[in-house]
Amino acid sequence: MKKESNSRGVIMFAHNNTEIDYFRLAVVNALLVQKNLGIKNITVVTDPHSLAQGEKTLGKRLIKKAINNIVITEKDKRFKELNQRVYKDTSHKTETLSFYNANRCDAYDISPYDETLLIDVDYLILSDTLNNCWGHNNELMMNWKYQDIMFERKDPTLSRLNPLGITMYWATVVYFKKTEYVNNFFNVVKHVKKNAVYYRDIYKWPGTLYRNDYSFSIAAHMMGGFIDKAIPQLPTTLYKSFDTDDIHSADGLNSIIMYLEKPDEPANFILTKWKDMDLHVMNKWAINRVSDKLMDYVK
Amino acid sequence: MSTKLTKALEFSNYRATLNNQKAQLKVKTQSLLSYSINGGSFTIDVPLITFCKQLIDEGQTEVVLLDIYKNPIKVDVEMFYEEIHSRYFEVTNEYYAEYEKLRQSRKVHKILDLNEEGK
Repeated sequence: MKKESNSRGVIMFAHNNTEIDYFRLAVVNALLVQKNLGIKNITVVTDPHSLAQGEKTLGKRLIKKAINNIVITEKDKRFKELNQRVYKDTSHKTETLSFYNANRCDAYDISPYDETLLIDVDYLILSDTLNNCWGHNNELMMNWKYQDIMFERKDPTLSRLNPLGITMYWATVVYFKKTEYVNNFFNVVKHVKKNAVYYRDIYKWPGTLYRNDYSFSIAAHMMGGFIDKAIPQLPTTLYKSFDTDDIHSADGLNSIIMYLEKPDEPANFILTKWKDMDLHVMNKWAINRVSDKLMDYVK
Repeated sequence: MSTKLTKALEFSNYRATLNNQKAQLKVKTQSLLSYSINGGSFTIDVPLITFCKQLIDEGQTEVVLLDIYKNPIKVDVEMFYEEIHSRYFEVTNEYYAEYEKLRQSRKVHKILDLNEEGK
């Protein structure tokens, strides 16, 4: 893609596994980005199989309308086989599936924009809040503060890499400019990913799963001069639901009604209406179930 | 289960839904009161509005304010004041309208703008 001067754009990564159609989520979110942020520069990094599935189910025309730059990469098969995680579709259904997140560290190199918003496909853009980032003095911003949308639910394990460890930053939304500092930051992320076993031992993140939240947090710690919380946060809070929650319906433009699992009461829910605020929906099946409706509102 | 207990549990569910919706409305308002300009970000609140008004009354035109990151940001104070003043009332009026609607909703489906069948 030809680089524009002073360009701004959004980049997402979408690699399907045997159950989750990440590419479909990327198309839905791209349409939401266009509608709510007014941004047409959208890059999606995917693989031939995910794209073929998208073309089959959504059609080339809709994909072209949603995404103006598709970057196709080949998956690292060994990484795909090794990086398995438990996905939940509420507490009723759990499945262990491949979690392909190996190339997010390449976002800096792939992005054709001067200013980039790197977002997860399941971070639904339901407002124009992220427009507050463009032209910012901070060249790199991401959140460590998050808010569960079930306000009384607390999970202290999500605040740090380990109970005595560094603060965990969320790689869910990252704003960056093309500068030498940010280039170095992404080089450190790549370095951590390449030497994941070593850094897991040093920073003591739990389990064996590689998560970008971990490598971005470690890079933030290292590039911040080994000081906690040295990278500034986005001028917005990160709102999250969990994979134990479900979507009841998409009842209007930028409006979703959700089932939220009560704390300490598995599979017992309350309802909430979430409107005009961006939301990280961890239950990917749930988004796919309402994806047609979401697209109807923005198409 | 006795009818009385069932009713009490229904009310408890209503309360939990209402409280969560109120909390959400509060954070939405906070989020809408964020304003970015000249590479800085500000939280629009009463002290900031009052301070800007005072600067205008003193005859200041261009001033440096500290944003939420404590970075110095130069702004045209009159334009800045106009923007934050109008945004503040736009957001708080909407907050009031939505809060009142919530307060008067006595059933879960009304809180969520659904009909009784949940649609």
